[in-house]
Amino acid sequence: MTVVERVGTQEQRVIDAALRCIARWGIGKTTLDDVAREASCSRATIYRLFPGGKDALLEAVTRTELDRFFTGLARRFDEAADLEELVVAGVVYTARSLAGHDALQFVLAYEPDVILPKVAFRQADRALGMVSEFAAPYLAPYVGDREAPRVAEWVARLVLSYTLAPADGVDVGDEESVRRLVGTFVLPGLVSPAAQ
Amino acid sequence: MGTDRKRRTVRSLVDAMAVDLTVRERILEAGFACVARYGLAKTTVEDVARASGLSRATLYRYFPGGRDQLLRDVIAWETGRFFGRLAEAVAGAPDFPSLLEEALLFAHRAVEEHEVLQKVLQTEPERLLPQLTVESERILVFIRRFLVPYLEREDLRPGVEPEEAADYVARMLLSFIGNQGRWDLTDPAQVAELVRTELLAGVVRDRR
Repeated sequence: MTVVERVGTQEQRVIDAALRCIARWGIGKTTLDDVAREASCSRATIYRLFPGGKDALLEAVTRTELDRFFTGLARRFDEAADLEELVVAGVVYTARSLAGHDALQFVLAYEPDVILPKVAFRQADRALGMVSEFAAPYLAPYVGDREAPRVAEWVARLVLSYTLAPADGVDVGDEESVRRLVGTFVLPGLVSPAAQ
Repeated sequence: MGTDRKRRTVRSLVDAMAVDLTVRERILEAGFACVARYGLAKTTVEDVARASGLSRATLYRYFPGGRDQLLRDVIAWETGRFFGRLAEAVAGAPDFPSLLEEALLFAHRAVEEHEVLQKVLQTEPERLLPQLTVESERILVFIRRFLVPYLEREDLRPGVEPEEAADYVARMLLSFIGNQGRWDLTDPAQVAELVRTELLAGVVRDRR
């Protein structure tokens, strides 16, 4: 079931309630009772929807949020008319999604031990791989099939770097700022398939 | 106060500070050894006192925040040493692209071969990584400062300032040091290609 199909279902209501709880108290302190109260349902309902309890619920939350993110990213990509727009839109949308995600921001600030092991050193392979696999087909018409996954990974690194360690002069949530960053450092390094 | 006495006072102040630095280093080194042996969670002030041959009271004088501060400073200290070794290793490179290539080759190998880092990453990443993420801002400043003088001597593309280029290159270096992704950073040919494209294509004028 995709995000769109699940809107309005009880499953989605519980997931949204869990996100609000995490944004308020974090992953560690959020209990199924909290989520049940927030979603106006019973604990038993949550167990029925997510057999396995909190872990299963958290997994569903993560999956749903990734799904939501990638659905939005695809829409931005579809609207882009050229390579520059594609890269800029991807960076800005990703940076804003990360910065505007209350639950994620709470966890990054107060429970970094939960999330950083998934995006650092070798574990970053999964995150970088997921992003580059998703974005590669959109980049391929501009840079060729061979280069596309590499370029996607390159841009994903930039987003990750500026998100975890913000810079003084660069705002990855701002279109103009990203246009300058990408135009200066990324686009000159991209070869068109015709030139290969 | 006569000049001689003044000089002696200054000298003794400097000596006292030097001793202080040595004691601090001694504690940090012992702390690092303890982390290597017991890990971050199990290392205690007691362990570090024993390993350094100093008293608990002395340790608390240098690290009033106790265990937490001590471990934080051990991580910062070893991170500083790591990048110090890296800077030393590449300082003699013949030109800027080679310097970056050597940096990536050296740092990738050094991370892989850093036994304590690898052990902690495997067994207790949740204790190390929040700290390293905080450190990364300081590391970026360090790499940036290291790179600026080189960039000032390079033929930069129009509109590119050494400072912003240094920040960009520092971020890319740090990202690749942590994770090589699709690249094989043990292969000098791939590393040269990576430096030519992703690190420098937008920074320096094409040499060809």
